[in-house]
Amino acid sequence: MKKETILPETRDTAFRDLILKTPVGEKIPTCMQCGICAGSCPVSHEMDYTPRQLVRMVQLGLKHEVLNSNTIWICTTCFSCSVRCPRGIRPTELMETLKPIAIAEGIKNKNSKFDNIFSDVVKKNGRASEFLLISKYSLSEPGMIKQAPFGLSLMSRGKLPLMPDKMEDVRELDAIFKTGEEKQEKKPESGTKENAETKAEAGEKNEGKAADTGGEAEK
Amino acid sequence: MKYSYYPGCAQHGTAIDYRMSVEAVFRRLGIELEEVKNWNCCGALHVPDRNVRAALSSRTLASAKGLDIATPCNLCYSNLMRANTALEDATLKNMINGKLTNKYDGNTKPKHLLEVIVKDYGLAKLAENVKKPLKIKAVPYYGCLLTRPENKFDSPENPKSLDNLIFTLGAEPVKYYYKTKCCGGPVLITNEDLALSLAKDLLGMAKESGADCMVVTCPMCHLQLDAKQKAVESKYNIKFDMPIIYFTQLIGLAMGMSPKELGLDKHLVPTDKLVARIGR
Ligand code: SF4
Ligand code: SF4
Repeated sequence: MKKETILPETRDTAFRDLILKTPVGEKIPTCMQCGICAGSCPVSHEMDYTPRQLVRMVQLGLKHEVLNSNTIWICTTCFSCSVRCPRGIRPTELMETLKPIAIAEGIKNKNSKFDNIFSDVVKKNGRASEFLLISKYSLSEPGMIKQAPFGLSLMSRGKLPLMPDKMEDVRELDAIFKTGEEKQEKKPESGTKENAETKAEAGEKNEGKAADTGGEAEK
Repeated sequence: MKYSYYPGCAQHGTAIDYRMSVEAVFRRLGIELEEVKNWNCCGALHVPDRNVRAALSSRTLASAKGLDIATPCNLCYSNLMRANTALEDATLKNMINGKLTNKYDGNTKPKHLLEVIVKDYGLAKLAENVKKPLKIKAVPYYGCLLTRPENKFDSPENPKSLDNLIFTLGAEPVKYYYKTKCCGGPVLITNEDLALSLAKDLLGMAKESGADCMVVTCPMCHLQLDAKQKAVESKYNIKFDMPIIYFTQLIGLAMGMSPKELGLDKHLVPTDKLVARIGR
């Protein structure tokens, strides 16, 4: 990885401040780059940036790199990093905080697609039917066809009922699914709107620039 | 003993075997599980907004009617635990309660079924129910979310409760360094290669330990390690042939229940050799 200097104008301080104001953000400035999170992570070898790097990048406000990295989607939410961080930072929850922001910024990938389908199914039926999830996801992912024998083997054991399980009454769910949006709207100034404007600019400038987060040793 | 019971979505789908064994064993032990009426999904790890997940779980917790709420699933358990922590933020709590018909005071205690057996019912009492000491070697596999992040019930680094349970049933818990390492389940659909490689590590270590089976506490771990085991085998050209047993099935076997009653014939990795070893 080629080292490049991070220029002040590539840093999006509004993005940084937005994250620092969330419950997980409070401790992020205290990260000492010890790397315990990255060392504990079972999947860091598949990530564009390890959890340690991501925390640093948030400190620096490298919005474009952070939101476009596969890191937040590769994370399996196993919490190994979070229970070990000596500073009490929860990188897991940082990933979770970044996901809806990435989605709102229009980031699309397999994971966001699956999460979207999952949320729709739960909003509509109140429960996640595995058959419904897999069949809906397969419609948009042609590669899933090779999972058909797997699906059949589950069916042969009565493990994949075709009739989706449903709540008797789903009326409350629409309101519940709005919880996330409101929490964000409540945020003072540095919120999403202003951010979206700076995004285009900062995003362009960031293009193609590797973040100097000192990751060579790990990569 | 009576609990409010939150089964979670998998019990009505891929974890039918888990469900059968929970029902059979808890009935026999006289622990009453009263299913929450009109329960909703906890959002697993796939409703991406954590505030929405907190709201989904709050709705469930609010319907516990003063009882502790028991759940068989590691994901549901962690979402319920995390909702309680999230609701310490008064703003979020008010906002969530604004959406619930049945308001949540933040005081329901979630318990995983393993905790119900090991702590509340007690291993000494369970030992009295053991008719057939199992005399096998078993891997105690806890997965991620049973002990993390809200580790009120067992250690997140080296938990012991499942080890102790296996021992109580007359079996030997083997030394296993991946007790709490991720199984890869959460990325199974979207990143199968990665998911299979994580499962391969766990299965390989289990094989190396000389165990007759792996014992799990979570439907997602079971799907990954049992239903996907064949895929791992063909991808890496290794034969594991490792039965994956829910802890409730293990209890049932030790209590002398039939494998069929416990749903063991629904597994994808055959369990007949294991059952033969146990001797029934
Ligand atoms: S473990 Fe904590 S302090 Fe250490 S690098 Fe990771 S986030 Fe920073
Ligand atoms: S929670 Fe995510 S980032 Fe943290 S150790 Fe697990 S996979 Fe890695």
